[in-house]
Amino acid sequence: MPTNDLTIAMVGSGGDGVVTMGDLIAQVAAREGLHAIKTEAYGPQIRGGEASCTVRIASKDIFAQGDTVDVLVVFRRADFARFRGELSVAEDAVILAEADDPTPEGEVNLTGQGGVRLVQVPFGELARDSAGTPASKNVVALGILSGLFGLPEEGLRLAVSHKFGRKKESVREANTKAFEAGVAFARSLTEGFEAKRLEYVPGEPLLLMSGNEASAVGAMHAGCRFFAGYPITPSSEILHFLAEWLPRAGGSFIQTEDELAAIGAVIGASFAGVKSMTATSGPGLSLMTEMLGLSSMAEVPTVIVDVQRGGPSTGNPTKGEQADLFQCLYGTHGDAPRVVLACGDVQDCFHATVDAFNISEEFQLPVLILSDQAVGQRKETLPASKLVHEVLDRAKPTEAQLVDYKRYADTPTGVSPMSVPGMKSGMYQTNGLEHDADGQPASAYLVHEKMNAKRYRKLWPIRDKYHSFRRYGPEEADIGIVCWGSSDGAVREAVIAANARGEKVSAFVPQILYPFPKRDFERYAASVQELLVMELSYTAQFYKYLRTFLRLPEGRTHVFKRSGGRSLSVAEVNRELRRVESIASSREMEVAI
Amino acid sequence: MSTPALVPAFQPADYKSALKPVWCAGCGDFGALAALHRAMAKLQLEPWNTVVLSGIGCSSRLPGYVETFGFNGVHGRALTLATGVKAARPELNVIAVGGDGDGIAIGGNHFLHAARRNLDIAYFLMDNEIYGLTKGQAAPTTPTGDKTKSTYWGNPEPSVDPCELAISFGATWVARGFSGDPKTLTELMTQAMQHRGFAFLNVMSPCVTWRGDDQFKILKAKLKSLPEDHDRGSRAAALAYTRETDTMTTGVLYEVREPSLVERLEGVRTKALKTGPVTSTAEVLRAFAPAF
Repeated sequence: MPTNDLTIAMVGSGGDGVVTMGDLIAQVAAREGLHAIKTEAYGPQIRGGEASCTVRIASKDIFAQGDTVDVLVVFRRADFARFRGELSVAEDAVILAEADDPTPEGEVNLTGQGGVRLVQVPFGELARDSAGTPASKNVVALGILSGLFGLPEEGLRLAVSHKFGRKKESVREANTKAFEAGVAFARSLTEGFEAKRLEYVPGEPLLLMSGNEASAVGAMHAGCRFFAGYPITPSSEILHFLAEWLPRAGGSFIQTEDELAAIGAVIGASFAGVKSMTATSGPGLSLMTEMLGLSSMAEVPTVIVDVQRGGPSTGNPTKGEQADLFQCLYGTHGDAPRVVLACGDVQDCFHATVDAFNISEEFQLPVLILSDQAVGQRKETLPASKLVHEVLDRAKPTEAQLVDYKRYADTPTGVSPMSVPGMKSGMYQTNGLEHDADGQPASAYLVHEKMNAKRYRKLWPIRDKYHSFRRYGPEEADIGIVCWGSSDGAVREAVIAANARGEKVSAFVPQILYPFPKRDFERYAASVQELLVMELSYTAQFYKYLRTFLRLPEGRTHVFKRSGGRSLSVAEVNRELRRVESIASSREMEVAI
Repeated sequence: MSTPALVPAFQPADYKSALKPVWCAGCGDFGALAALHRAMAKLQLEPWNTVVLSGIGCSSRLPGYVETFGFNGVHGRALTLATGVKAARPELNVIAVGGDGDGIAIGGNHFLHAARRNLDIAYFLMDNEIYGLTKGQAAPTTPTGDKTKSTYWGNPEPSVDPCELAISFGATWVARGFSGDPKTLTELMTQAMQHRGFAFLNVMSPCVTWRGDDQFKILKAKLKSLPEDHDRGSRAAALAYTRETDTMTTGVLYEVREPSLVERLEGVRTKALKTGPVTSTAEVLRAFAPAF
């Protein structure tokens, strides 16, 4: 029986072109209206070195990158060994391995598991014979994948032609020949691959975009016209995109000397009236923390994307984790209100960024967007129709407010009229020092108390207006999973599968973390028997955070936490569901006895 | 920056805010503030189109004493804020002020890069060779051997000359002034605000509280004007008036015309717009549609 869901991984060295293969497969999926999620992993080398690329391609909705690999292309077994910890090969996987591999025999065993089928393929030789160069072996592999597993053949043919058509005609011709050689080779091996053959009906073309690109597009959509940033993995794609596109929209982009300058310039530009943003990762956010306080104190709209990586210090720059939560929620000196949003997938990156601008412009405070490597750097197909979001602009002070203008006037919502330079009656001093309604320094404790109250009051209307969360599964459930950010996809798939098996499992995924949608969470917690918190933080930051809002049900709250470095898998969620189930049933037995 | 109107609409007093400075009696910063009010009036800067930004320190309180838009930010970061304001709104008059600790120690990296970018602002650094607000610790400008609260046994470190740094970092207008010579200082501030590019003015501004009554006298005794034939277009000639020990030469040490940050960003936009302006999200999304 053919499949509607196939995960293909490719592993090789620099120059083997595995990332190109993945790109082309994902692009073809988008063209055919198929759903695809593409991820990449690299060794520590700056250029060259081992690389792996995984594409999950399906004719149904998918939300995670795929736990196990159905089809694996290995150009060099030694390279595969480097990714063994990250790539789980399915028990019935097909492995296409280079027949002429210099890796010593027996050093890397590809077929560790029972039903794995190993096919030796002379990739290099086929490429040499067809294209005249072994460099085209990745294109040979594409031909084989299309022939054996039903990847869109015509689409891939066009993709190859387009990719190499930008070079010399002879290069295009050679690669087309390589592709056909792969297709022909596949025909010689027709038997026994039926279960791994992708069956689909082509649909409307989709977009192919990474989470970081979606954040950048969200910023453009929201009207961001100033970006300042400092390169840091895994957030730099946001900076790359805006460096190219902001000037085309009449905006300005500056690569600053450090993250301190980045957030400073963003606060300056926003003070001057232009929607502004910066993007960074955990270590960069640490450098920005002082001026996060300034943004909060001076009440200047500021948008910061934190694409989380692993660990403190330099940590695991190329791997995701969910352990910047406390830094985003609490990272500050003094009491500094801010808003924290979370991204569960690529489209969330778009929507969270637009929301971040809408909230920061209306409520004049810093808004942090917590993305991570797993969401930021993976590419997903999605329809353009999902990227629609209302944009709000900063309110100008009214005529009445400009009479005896008070920049920090106390109001019922805590939001004061904000003028911008150029407004004749709106001149004011803004201040990182505690200040009075005029913005003049004031250190009396009553002023500080009053202004703190004013600044924090803004969080209430934000919570009323933006209490967004995702909710999966039945109204009432035996087990309810609570997670956030990039863990969304695996949890969602596990819930769908569990429900299909008749299990009563649900999930709650807040898309705003601060102010926390407390009432929604309370209602949710009351709808489940057992609560399972899942997160990629060694110290269970999210679980601890939830406890500050709610007395989680004693004895019926379970925590799954581990370090990042690898995305949460559906298998992990399933395993946890079984564990919670067995705890719950043994407790019932105790009660019965 | 804007040109003077025929009938002056603004007098120096119009730039004076209602707030009374917190500075000690006799502080050099009073002279710098008065000179700034006068220079602004000379240029007839529209107060509402002018932004004065600062970091933290005694002199960083200055934006509060000028009747314009003002931003008293955090320690060392005035130039980062100014970069954003100017890049976002090039038509505004942007002035950054602060002290030697704020600008050369904690903010030193931003000083380098604001100068390198030739950010179109005037930066007035009030140099008292000491940390005043934190009550008397050594700064990068404190002379070697001087006793301060943090150099009990005498300052063991060499000091820097901010003008020398500015010239080598790429500032396109560099001058030294003295708060005790308000006439020259007003003239220098006026020129700085007229310069297109990064104009750096080091204002020697005595601290009566932490550097003693002598500092003013010592500086005054060292005061010297640049010779008439000084070649301000020459980096080497300018550098000859830095790291002075027995003299303190005031005047415009260096002036060249190079493309400013605003002009360079405008250049980028012009180049980018040639590939087609982007006016809608749909156009951006097209970049992600299948190309074949």
